[in-house]
Amino acid sequence: MTPLDLSLTGPDAPPVNLAVDCGGIGFRNPVLTASGTFGYGREFEGLLDLHALGGLVTKGISPEPRFGNPTPRIAETASGMLNSIGLENVGVEDFERGKLPFLRTCGSKVIVNFFGRTFDEYVECGERLGRLDGVDGLEMNVSCPNIKAGGIEFGTDPRVLGELVKACRAVVRKALWVKLTPNTSDIVSLARACAENGADALAIINTITGMAIDAHTRRPKIATVFGGLSGPAIKPIALRMVYQVRRAGIPLPISGIGGIQNGTDAVEFMLAGATTVQVGTQSFIDPAAAERVLAEIVSYCRRHGVSDVRELVGGLRTS
Amino acid sequence: MRYFDARVIENRSLGAGYYVLRLGGCESLERSEPGQFVMVRGDWERDPLLPRAFSLLGVAPGGRADVLAKTVGRGTALLERTIPGARLSVLGPLGKGFPSPARGVTDLLVAGGVGMPPLFMQADRASRAGLAAQCEMLYGGRSSRDIVLVAEMRSLGVPLFLATEDGSLGRRGRVTATLEARIDEHRRAAGGATRLRILACGPKAMLWAVGRIARERSIECHLSLEEQMACGIGVCLGCAVPARSRPFRYVCKEGPVFDASEVLDVAQLVTPGAGNPALK
Repeated sequence: MTPLDLSLTGPDAPPVNLAVDCGGIGFRNPVLTASGTFGYGREFEGLLDLHALGGLVTKGISPEPRFGNPTPRIAETASGMLNSIGLENVGVEDFERGKLPFLRTCGSKVIVNFFGRTFDEYVECGERLGRLDGVDGLEMNVSCPNIKAGGIEFGTDPRVLGELVKACRAVVRKALWVKLTPNTSDIVSLARACAENGADALAIINTITGMAIDAHTRRPKIATVFGGLSGPAIKPIALRMVYQVRRAGIPLPISGIGGIQNGTDAVEFMLAGATTVQVGTQSFIDPAAAERVLAEIVSYCRRHGVSDVRELVGGLRTS
Repeated sequence: MRYFDARVIENRSLGAGYYVLRLGGCESLERSEPGQFVMVRGDWERDPLLPRAFSLLGVAPGGRADVLAKTVGRGTALLERTIPGARLSVLGPLGKGFPSPARGVTDLLVAGGVGMPPLFMQADRASRAGLAAQCEMLYGGRSSRDIVLVAEMRSLGVPLFLATEDGSLGRRGRVTATLEARIDEHRRAAGGATRLRILACGPKAMLWAVGRIARERSIECHLSLEEQMACGIGVCLGCAVPARSRPFRYVCKEGPVFDASEVLDVAQLVTPGAGNPALK
């Protein structure tokens, strides 16, 4: 593990405001943990201070439990990894009974990622989760195959996405975020469809579809052939998409995700336009990664005379 | 379970890509059980990205832990080149290990290739408990180059039966043939009264063969499985294995040691997915 950069800390260090508002939720700091890489929180108990996080985003929840895909499910690739877990999760009922009570004690904001196989399942899931105490907001995973439309991802067609957001918005009273898929040639249109249909924030980006082949066995490295690429390999793409949405003037705050390993990576996302950042795959490598990223953001701010992290948001210099 | 920095005290090459890393600073691993594992990573920047899982070979007071590895890819190649003083990130101890040695039970420890460490540790545990005579180590590999730490194994006082596929050391053939011969021998000698138990770790094909032998002869059997995993703590869900009582079980949290009757060999399922909704 890389040693924590604790320069410019201590009682004499200048204060840095870390609190941010993102999509209707007030966070004590901008560092969240990304869905699918932090379980339901409890898995990390004792490995980092859960109270220190801005918030945590749970594993994606569906109305009913799901068992997930055949194996192998993951493969390491250059500076990244592919996964095809199959959205395995405990379902709404078990989430409420078995997972939420612990999350309520974490002291960080709780955002529940959710999805469905059909339009109706999305609405049902959003409605049920949105009613639960201890849930501060919902994050829609729209990178799922739409069974009724031949398996095309819900989130790749602005019209379908807009209708889905609108339908969920009608039943969700809490903050409603949409996690955009990068598997598109036009991220801005997708972002706009969310903004026009009542979303409160955008999480950019989900994993990028990829594949890996074992030349010796002539087989794909994961059972479903295609998987989602994550890790530092995708950071330049994620930064570009955050920046494109910001530059297009889409009036929604952004939670930036994609290969964040340290405080500098997080600051880059904020400069590109993200208000909060989500630490994903790095939590597999270093379970305390989110806490480390936060400490390094603070250190960056002190070194650069930034008294409020909000100054960083969209602060990219292009001229 | 803790996430911490360890220091390489010694990196001992055993030839043919095998090496033992002796780590210091591993006080939190001192109470590890045979079969438990650690996730290990060096300061590798971004690539290779993920830590590597290793079953422990041994732990000792003073925060010392030994790991046996074999270079098979980039991660293990980088570890093979680490020098004393190098810093490694360690997460552990992880998972559930083998059952303790028990009086009245003879444990057949079946080790295949680089899957040997947890069985070495189990033999050491039995030896310390004064139960060395109640277990025996059956250790196989492709050739003599794949059989390592034999002197250390002998010093535990546990009977040792070696097998190599090319016959360059010990009995020629697979270690599973040795296992069958030892079971027959025990049954003959005691008139079938000896209570046998099998603990195994090694390549998948070997494990399923061991499981089959145990099932056919109604012998309790525990297998230590290996799967691709990213986190080691039940989060990435990469290390799923098809199971009997539920669609999947997870090597990192529920294993790596499983009762052989609980885990399923996907390749052997006549109808993939039969009785297992997750495999459809």
